[in-house]
Amino acid sequence: MRHPIFFKLFFALLTIAIMSACTGKKDQQDTYSTVLSFKPGDEAKIEEAFLSIKDSTSILLQAGKYEFDNLSIVQVSHILIHGEGHDKTILNFSSQSQGGEGIRVTDVKGFTIDGMTIRDSKGDLLKISNSSDVKVTNLHALWSQADSTSGGYAIYPVLCKNVLVENCYTEGSSDAGIYVGQTDGAIVRNCKAAKNVAGCEIENTSNAEVYDNEFYNNTAGFLIFDLPDLSKRGGKVKVYNNNIYDNNFRNFAKSGSFGTYWGVGNASPGSGIIILAASDIEIYNNKITGNNTAAITIASGFATDDKAAEKINANYSPISKNIKIHSNKLEMGADFPKPAYEHRIGQVLVATQDQLNRLDPNRKNKRIPLIVYDGFNSNILTKGTDLNPDSICIDQPEENLFVNADFQHIATPENWKPNMNIVPFQCK
Amino acid sequence: MRKTYLYSLLILLSTSFIVLMQQACKHKSTSQTTSKTQEFEFKEKLSDYAFFKGPLKDLVPVEGVTPYDLSTPLFTDYSIKDRFIVLPEGQSLQYTANGPLDFPDSSILIKNFAYTNEAHQKIMIETRLLVKDPKDSKWKVMNYLWNKEQTDAVRHITGAKVPITLLDEHGEEHVTTYMVPNTNDCKRCHINNGTLTPIGPKARNLNYTRKGTSVNQLTQWTSTGILVGLPDLTQVAQLPVWTDAAHYSLEKRARAYLDINCAHCHTKGGDAFNTGLFLDYEETNPNHLGIKKAPVSAGGGAGGLDFDIVPGDPAQSILLHRMNSVEPGTAMPELARTIIHKEGVALISEWIQRLPEGK
Repeated sequence: MRHPIFFKLFFALLTIAIMSACTGKKDQQDTYSTVLSFKPGDEAKIEEAFLSIKDSTSILLQAGKYEFDNLSIVQVSHILIHGEGHDKTILNFSSQSQGGEGIRVTDVKGFTIDGMTIRDSKGDLLKISNSSDVKVTNLHALWSQADSTSGGYAIYPVLCKNVLVENCYTEGSSDAGIYVGQTDGAIVRNCKAAKNVAGCEIENTSNAEVYDNEFYNNTAGFLIFDLPDLSKRGGKVKVYNNNIYDNNFRNFAKSGSFGTYWGVGNASPGSGIIILAASDIEIYNNKITGNNTAAITIASGFATDDKAAEKINANYSPISKNIKIHSNKLEMGADFPKPAYEHRIGQVLVATQDQLNRLDPNRKNKRIPLIVYDGFNSNILTKGTDLNPDSICIDQPEENLFVNADFQHIATPENWKPNMNIVPFQCK
Repeated sequence: MRKTYLYSLLILLSTSFIVLMQQACKHKSTSQTTSKTQEFEFKEKLSDYAFFKGPLKDLVPVEGVTPYDLSTPLFTDYSIKDRFIVLPEGQSLQYTANGPLDFPDSSILIKNFAYTNEAHQKIMIETRLLVKDPKDSKWKVMNYLWNKEQTDAVRHITGAKVPITLLDEHGEEHVTTYMVPNTNDCKRCHINNGTLTPIGPKARNLNYTRKGTSVNQLTQWTSTGILVGLPDLTQVAQLPVWTDAAHYSLEKRARAYLDINCAHCHTKGGDAFNTGLFLDYEETNPNHLGIKKAPVSAGGGAGGLDFDIVPGDPAQSILLHRMNSVEPGTAMPELARTIIHKEGVALISEWIQRLPEGK
């Protein structure tokens, strides 16, 4: 042992060497058997390369503008599609002539798309389905017009396992900018979304974390939904360190590009976070400010569907439960945003404020409270009497914080009693 | 001095070790992809397969190439379809009650698409092949695009847009751009739960008497030996002929039409699994069938309507709205239809109109 340091160092380096070779994650992810590179003007070759793509291929789209009808990748593994940055590599899908999306990725194990802008498809921009270990990074996905001519979803992983959406920006979606559907394991972080109907939506997705994002100037900033009769149930979602502000945009999901019953057509302009029929949710350390209809809305499937009870099964429960809201900064402006007065649910919330002030003149015409709970709880199903049977827990310092809006009785004004008693809902 | 020497030796050793290890890994991954069994290779031209005798465009099959039809076919812009099964010599199809018949390895399904032009000539557009690769018993797809001279079709993976003027069955003219699918488009409809599979040749879809013949297609196949295991026909499920109002109820014809035109995607494990709208002929759950079902991810495609199907009210039914459109993002099916199928829309409209409203 003449050189103990030497040997220590030797073993340290040896360990690094071994790790970086076979087991090292980074190395494996960065190595592709086939490496292709294209430039603008190569569109026909690129389409062909996508169609004949083999396992373990990376495709670089060099800086410049590309025009595509649509692109697709099906049934391969370990694929990287990358550009030279969102401001350099730009893919335009405005000539899309059929199909539901600009880029479609199906049945891919290990898919990464990075460093480009995709824009102006007729349908969704990027749909990734039935895939695992999906990374969408440094991607801008947008429509020039924020109106009902835009496609539904900008970034749309669905029926996937392990999804990361990071450093992305979406704009102009007529439904949701980032929409993670029916997926297990999802992270959305460091993303921005503006001028979409919903900035970001987590739907029937379990084990998701949404943090360090900015959702602003959408109709609604962030939504967690479960819908009935789908492949899986959502839940176990943590939402923290996000800045969700000034989401007061008109709802341009057409005359409900979704009708009036479900979906994002129901989101009132001025909504910060909406939780619908979802369970095991924790919302903390977020700044939720300037969303002038409701900072946080907790709703059940009954609020939008009177047949919700018939749809209860292992994959669906209409009642939101185990919702923990704490340590956020909540603030709202002096009045509802104008578009809320023209929106079906917006009008209901305006009416709720009026009713509160009518029932209690001492409120002196204060705003609707920051957190609105629709009041449909599992007592409807169990005929129970517990004031908080579904473990809603709120720990926030703000005044005028909470209302149980009693939507069950909204049709009969004399019985409609929105109630601001937060005591049953305070975290124990 | 000596220390420095040792350290540089050490670094040299470790880097070469890294390189070696990486090569070992690479080798490992490439050796996995090579295999000894003979892989099916698609040929360059349709004529290379020698499926047909005489002028290729007459599609006169040689012995061993069996033409077939489906009781209710998929609508593809009023195109004329010719279908054939090619089995490896001496082998047969095995009957299965559900799903596609059981095909032996190296089976080939041929589907040719043509249209009737203004001069009432049959013009060939494309030929699609599905091959069950003996290497891994998995189905593979390929497309062949017919040349202008109509003498042959050439392997073509990227799809094509072909401007045509066609006559429908009533002689009415349609001007459109026919969409030849690319090979990924083919997979979209043919993949279920990650496995590529034929759609048409299910016993229930083949269980009828083809036009111009007098014997049930499955019975015929049993007598010629290409099908084994067929039970008594009374035991075999049957998909109605969607146009045959004399023998099948409106409900049955509508459900058959929806099965063939929609259920390759709108089924559990299919491309539209995420929608929860399942239109298989066997589906019984009214919500999965779309009855008063709200859409999940239709976006603007829903046209501002609330439910997939509103019994008694076709105009308020998203399903009909999307059949009745050719706009990308709205039109259903998403692929291979650029013209509205008026007769299909009429059938489904009448079916929705007559659905009991309480349902």
